[in-house]
Amino acid sequence: MNHSKQVLVVDDSRVSRLMSHQFILSKHADWQVIEAATGEEALEKVKTVSPVLILLDVNMPGMGGVAAAEQLRVLCPQTHIILVTANVQNAIRNRASELGVGFMEKPITETRIHQLIESLGL
Amino acid sequence: MINLSELENDALVEIFNIGVGHAAAAMSEIVNEEVTMSVPSITFLNRADAAALLGSKKDGERICGVSQHYDGAFATEAILMFPEDKSLEIVRLMVGDAMPLQELTEMEQEAMSEIGNIILNSCVGTLANLFDSELHGSLPLYHVGTSAEILSSFGSRDDEAVVLMLHIDFVLSKHQIHGYVAFVLDLSALHDLKQQVSHYLAKVLGQA
Repeated sequence: MNHSKQVLVVDDSRVSRLMSHQFILSKHADWQVIEAATGEEALEKVKTVSPVLILLDVNMPGMGGVAAAEQLRVLCPQTHIILVTANVQNAIRNRASELGVGFMEKPITETRIHQLIESLGL
Repeated sequence: MINLSELENDALVEIFNIGVGHAAAAMSEIVNEEVTMSVPSITFLNRADAAALLGSKKDGERICGVSQHYDGAFATEAILMFPEDKSLEIVRLMVGDAMPLQELTEMEQEAMSEIGNIILNSCVGTLANLFDSELHGSLPLYHVGTSAEILSSFGSRDDEAVVLMLHIDFVLSKHQIHGYVAFVLDLSALHDLKQQVSHYLAKVLGQA
């Protein structure tokens, strides 16, 4: 049985997914990183996987990260969901807080990813 | 065109200065080295003059641009521009040396869009916070062409349309890379921006 933790990375930018993927594995090589390019795809993925952490880009085609977070929060009540965005507006931070999800500023860096994982105690 | 008092003009420069400061910090994290920036200069120009200003450094230089449309507190087209021949270098700095050149080239356009998204949102998001307001951004669009071609692809085709040109030099400590940011606003949007600046001044001067 595989006990490695799963992380779902949701971002329409392939390069951002690639970097998140790489930085997660550089801290926990045994973790499984699953990728989705849209919010809709993320909602499909969580039917079959149980991530401990979902990194969710905000500005994506389709439903967008905030709307996806709203639904993912209900579908995955135990999962840490983090909105990842360069949009530093207070309005987005407030929305994240209302939804009970976290917030991480882009650009994605190894330090930010590692600090996030540590702060969540994962 | 639009009349700003000396105080309003000063506030506008300062607000963009703060926004651009955040953008520089974001850029520095992307390329993993120090990024210094010139003091932003703000000029109101018509579109033809703005294109001429950008194009004056190297005649006919091809530029890659990433644009996002914002609306809310004021409507604007924000455009980040870099010389096209530097874009692969910037992407290489972003993803590191590990990626093979062919794969890097394949994702150059997408990576530049993401870089534009990060830098423009850092700047615009900061402006929205200072204005206690919201600005909603579209997805980034990627363009390649001369500065005139890129500028003419936004909004009104009218050469007389006003462009608020915020011109900044990004200088990477190890790589001489210059970037420019431009905000295109029409007259109605300029009026909205002026109002936001007035509210900001009232707030910071304790008159709100």
